[in-house]
Amino acid sequence: MAGFLDGFRWPECEWFDWGEKRNAVASVAAGALFFTGWWVIIDAAVMYPSQEMMNHSFHTCGVFSTIAFFMINAVSNGQVRGDAYGEGCFGRTGARLWLFIGFMMMFGSFIASVWILFGAYVVPKKEVAPGLAVFFQNALIFFSSLVYKFGRTEDLWG
Amino acid sequence: MAGIKALISLSFGGAIGLMFLMLGCALPVYNNKYWPLFLLFFYILSPIPYCISRRVVDDTDSASNACKELAIFLTTGIVISAFGLPIVFARAQVIAWGACALVLTGNVVIFGTILGFFLVFGSNDDFSWQQW
Repeated sequence: MAGFLDGFRWPECEWFDWGEKRNAVASVAAGALFFTGWWVIIDAAVMYPSQEMMNHSFHTCGVFSTIAFFMINAVSNGQVRGDAYGEGCFGRTGARLWLFIGFMMMFGSFIASVWILFGAYVVPKKEVAPGLAVFFQNALIFFSSLVYKFGRTEDLWG
Repeated sequence: MAGIKALISLSFGGAIGLMFLMLGCALPVYNNKYWPLFLLFFYILSPIPYCISRRVVDDTDSASNACKELAIFLTTGIVISAFGLPIVFARAQVIAWGACALVLTGNVVIFGTILGFFLVFGSNDDFSWQQW
């Protein structure tokens, strides 16, 4: 019972040579997710312009998500492991701290967007679309940063 | 020169795409709202990140590099924005949905043309700027 899925394999995907194109595909996917997130919130800001329908301070979630995206992707995995050739500003520990703070901001913004959705829209029984927009913006930026960070491999960088 | 035929068909594609964009603005049934012309800004911007990354990092032995991937990320963002802007215009009732559909069709054609341009004329092994 414990290992009954051990023999299961996804069907082979031979039609596309993932090898050299993996980084490009991951970049495209991350870009699509990130900018779709921002256009979702732009749409909500256009459709619900007043402060009552969508509190303007809810935009801070998305801003912090974006800052976190750039922080997370500013350090390469090689710098965190310590085997990048340059020392960098603060070395390996600095890279790890930067990444830690970046991920904390990203998780924090994501959790905040869920809180906003439930606390400011679902519970007070207001029209939920702006809350959903804030949530989707942050969720999409979150997944975009994961794809951009972990979907690319540094082996292709030569 | 990878072929006059490719060049002519790409320029035809570009003309058709711009035709769709202008139809979306100028048809009388859509009340001459010229807001979609802001998309020209996105069309012009879209090849720039990739060209800059090609120019800055001259690394022919590695398959990829961080700068090129950032350029691909930004280019995807510009393409998404070019699709998002007409949709937001239409939802805000600044333009009609029919105009939005025409503009989106024009988008697809123009980005296909730009992509075709890079595929056909882009991959020069001895890429140098002097030939321009």
